[in-house]
Amino acid sequence: MGSLIKIEKRNDISNSILLFSPVLAIILTLLSGAIIFYFLGFQPLEALKIFFIIPIADLYGFSELLLKATPLCIIAIGLSFCFKTNNWNIGAEGQLIFGGIVSGGVALLFYNQEGFFILPIIILTGALGGAIFALIPAILKTYFNTNEILTSLMLVYVAKLLLDYLVVGPWTNPEGFNFPETRMFSDSARMPLLFEGLRIHAGIFIALMLVALSWFIFFKTFLGFQMKVSGLSLKTARYAGYKGKKTILLVFIISGACAGLAGVGEITGPIGQLYREISPEYGFTAIIVTFLGRLNPIGIIFASLIVALTYLGAESAQIFLQVPKSIGQIFQGLILFFLLASDFLLYFKVKFLITQKKNEY
Amino acid sequence: METSLKISNISKAYPDCLANDNINLELKSGKIYALLGENGAGKSTLVKILFGIIQPDKGKIFLNNQILKLNSPRDAKKNKISMVFQHFSLFETLSVLENLILDSSEPKKSLENKIQDIINKYNFNIDLYTPVLNLSAGQKQKVEIIRCLIKNPDVLIMDEPTSVLTEQETKELFISLKKFSKEGILIIYITHKLKEVITLCDEVAVMRKGKLISISKVSNEKIESLANKMIGQNLKIVRKKRLEEKSNDQLIKIVNLNYKSANPFEVNIKDINFEVNRGECLGIAGISGNGQSELFQMLSGEITSENNSIVFDNRPIGKLNPQERRKYLIAFSPEDRLTHASIPQMKIFENVALNNFKSSDFFKGGLINEKKIKDHSQRILTKFSVNTENVELKTQFLSGGNLQKLLIGRELITSPNLLICFNPTWGLDVGAIHYIHETLIKINDQNKSIILISTDTEELFMLSDKICAINKGRISKVFKTTDVSTEKLGLLMGGQFD
Repeated sequence: MGSLIKIEKRNDISNSILLFSPVLAIILTLLSGAIIFYFLGFQPLEALKIFFIIPIADLYGFSELLLKATPLCIIAIGLSFCFKTNNWNIGAEGQLIFGGIVSGGVALLFYNQEGFFILPIIILTGALGGAIFALIPAILKTYFNTNEILTSLMLVYVAKLLLDYLVVGPWTNPEGFNFPETRMFSDSARMPLLFEGLRIHAGIFIALMLVALSWFIFFKTFLGFQMKVSGLSLKTARYAGYKGKKTILLVFIISGACAGLAGVGEITGPIGQLYREISPEYGFTAIIVTFLGRLNPIGIIFASLIVALTYLGAESAQIFLQVPKSIGQIFQGLILFFLLASDFLLYFKVKFLITQKKNEY
Repeated sequence: METSLKISNISKAYPDCLANDNINLELKSGKIYALLGENGAGKSTLVKILFGIIQPDKGKIFLNNQILKLNSPRDAKKNKISMVFQHFSLFETLSVLENLILDSSEPKKSLENKIQDIINKYNFNIDLYTPVLNLSAGQKQKVEIIRCLIKNPDVLIMDEPTSVLTEQETKELFISLKKFSKEGILIIYITHKLKEVITLCDEVAVMRKGKLISISKVSNEKIESLANKMIGQNLKIVRKKRLEEKSNDQLIKIVNLNYKSANPFEVNIKDINFEVNRGECLGIAGISGNGQSELFQMLSGEITSENNSIVFDNRPIGKLNPQERRKYLIAFSPEDRLTHASIPQMKIFENVALNNFKSSDFFKGGLINEKKIKDHSQRILTKFSVNTENVELKTQFLSGGNLQKLLIGRELITSPNLLICFNPTWGLDVGAIHYIHETLIKINDQNKSIILISTDTEELFMLSDKICAINKGRISKVFKTTDVSTEKLGLLMGGQFD
C-alpha cells in the first residue's frame, strides 16, 4: 500500500510559488499567534487586532511604521548582496553600531556648529564606518579561511562594548549628570523631518534610493550577473573566470555600508545623540527581512513593513495586554520559522492521492 | 543445480517516461547474459527491479518457477540474488576483511576462512588486512565480488563493471566471470560497450527506450548488428583523416607543471610536460581520479600555476584566470556539465553569457547586453542543432546530449585556436556521441588544436593524433596514436610508464 500523500521534487520553481511561500508563512504566523494569545488568556482576534491593526490605525502610527521599516529596509538591501553570493554576514548589528559610532563621533565634533555640509559628511562617514567594520570578517574569510558567520557575529559584541565604553567614558555628556549618553547633536547634524509632529525623516529616501540602485545592479549589470552565478555555483563562477575574492570583499563592503547608513539614520533621526541602545537589534531582525523579501529589492520593501509592524505591535501589546515586549521577537521568530518551512514547497510538491495503485504480483 | 530466472510482463513508468515496457525474459544458469542498451534504455531500471530496489508497476518475476516477491535488496539477497554496482560501497578506512564481515552474522573466524578459500580459488590477489583506500579500482571491485560470493549466489548482476577498470583488470574480471558461470552462477552483465558483449557473453538482450528489442546468441551477432539494434538506426562510423605530415607549428607547451593540493581528496600534479601543435589532437588517457580533473583546471586557469609552466603561442599564461585565457581564444569544456560548465537553474542565454570571449562583448560598460547575448545564443542553437529555439529555456530542461551540444557550441562558435575538453561524451547517447565526435574532428580539419582528456579509450584511439596516459598525477611519454596498442595504453594507464 502506498501512502496517501506523495512528495515529489519540483522540476522548476515557478514565480507564483515564490510569492505564495511568504504569504503562507504570514498566514501561519497569524494563526499560531492567535493560538498563543488564546493560551495567554486573551480573546485571540482582539489580541491580534491590538498587535497588528491598532498600532497603525492613525497617521502617527503609520509614520512610526515607516520609521522602523527604514533601517530594516536599508540593512536588508545590503544583506541581500551578501546572501545572494552565499556570504553569511550575521554581523549587520555590529556594522550598524560601528557606523553609528563613527558618524556620531563626527556629529559630536560639530556639536556647536551649524552648516549644510555637516549632515552629508556624517552620512558618508557612517557608511564608511560600517563598510570598514564589515571588511574585517571579509578579509579574515578571504585570506585566512575563517568562517564569516562566527567572526561577523562576534564583532557585534566588540562594537556594542566599544559604544558602551565611549558613552560612559570619553564621549559622555559633560553636563549630563553622568548618564551614559553623549551630547545632543546640533540641528545641522539631524535628518530633516518630513512632517511637523511626526518622527518620520529623510532617511526613508535613502532607503528608496538604495532599493532602486540595488534592483539595477542585480538585474542589469555584469556585477549582478556575477553575483548570481557565484551564488548558484562557485565552481561555475571559477570556470567563468570571475574573481571570487574581489566579489566577497565587495559584497561585504556594500552590506556594511548599508548597515552603517541605517545607524546614521537612527542616531541623526529619532535619537539625536549616542547612547547604549541605539538599535533594538535591527541588524539581526533585518536578516529575517532579507529572506522574507526573497533577496529581492521590491520584496524587501514589503518585508520590512511587515516586520516593522511586529515592533509596533509588541509595544502596543505591552500597553494594552500587559504582556512583555519580547512577544514581538516571538512573532519575528515565527515568521522566519514558517518561511523556512514554506520554502519546502519551493522545491517539492505535495500530491494527495485519491486512488491508489497496488503492485500486482 | 540449475537456476532459472523468468521475467514476465514487467512494466515500470516514471512521470515522464516508460522505463520498462512489458519486458519478458527467460534466463538459465551456465550462461553469461548481456543486457545491452544506451543510457536511458531502461536496463538499470530492470536490474534494480530484479534486485528489489524498485518495485514494478506490473509484472512478475519467477526464480526456479517460484514466484518471487522483492520488496527490498534484503529479499533479493535471501533468494541468492547478488549485485555489484558501478560505484563501490566500501568503507575506505576499514580493512578488506572488516568491510566483508560488516553485514554478516556468521562467526568471524569461519567467515575469514571462507573468504580466504574464495581468494585462493579464484586467484584474487588481495590482502585481507590492507585498508580499502590502498586498493586499485580493480581490487576494490574484487572485494565487492567477494562480498557477493560469500552468500553463494545463484544470480550475479554486474552493472557496467568495466567503466573504472584498465584493460588488464578487465581481462582478469572476464576470466573470473567465466569461472563463476561454469560453476553454475547465472550472470547478468549490463553494458553499453559492444566489444565486451562479443568477448564475454553467450547471449545478448538489447534494450531501447524501455523496450526489449531482441534476444539472440552472441555467436550470431557482429558489432555492427548489435550497434544498429541498440541505436535503432544505421550510423556511419566516424573516421578521422590522419595526415602523415602534421605541422610542427607549436601552439601550446606545458613545462614542469606542478600542483600540490591542500585538499586530501584532490590529486597532486607532478612535473607534467607536453606540447601540442596546430591542427593536432592530443589524447590524455587515464582511469578516473588520477589527476585529470586537476590537470583540466590547471589548463583552464581555475587553478593557476607558475606563469612559465604553460606557454601558449610563445606567451606564458600560467597565472591567467579562465576569462583572461579566453582572450587568447582558448576554450574549455569541463567534464561535469551540470555543476561545472553550466548552471541548470539559469536560462540558456544566461549560461551562454558565462563564457564571455572578447569578441562577444556581452557586458559592455559593465551592463548586461541582453539582446546581444540572446542573438549569440540563437546562433549556437541553430548551428549546433540543439533541439530548441527558446533561449529563455532553463538548461535543466535540456537532455544530456542537447546540453552538451549547447556547451560545446558555446565554446566553438568563436572558433577558438585550442579546445581543451574533459570526457566530452560522458553519459551521452550514441547519436549525440557521434555528433560530438564529428564536431571534434572538424576542429582538427580547420587546423585548430584539441587536448582531449578522456577515460574512454575507444574515443581516444578514434580522435587523437598523439596519445599519453595520466596516472596518479604523472603523465607518460607521448606516443603517436598509431604506434600504441590497447594493451600498451592499458599498462600506461596502470602507471607502468617504462
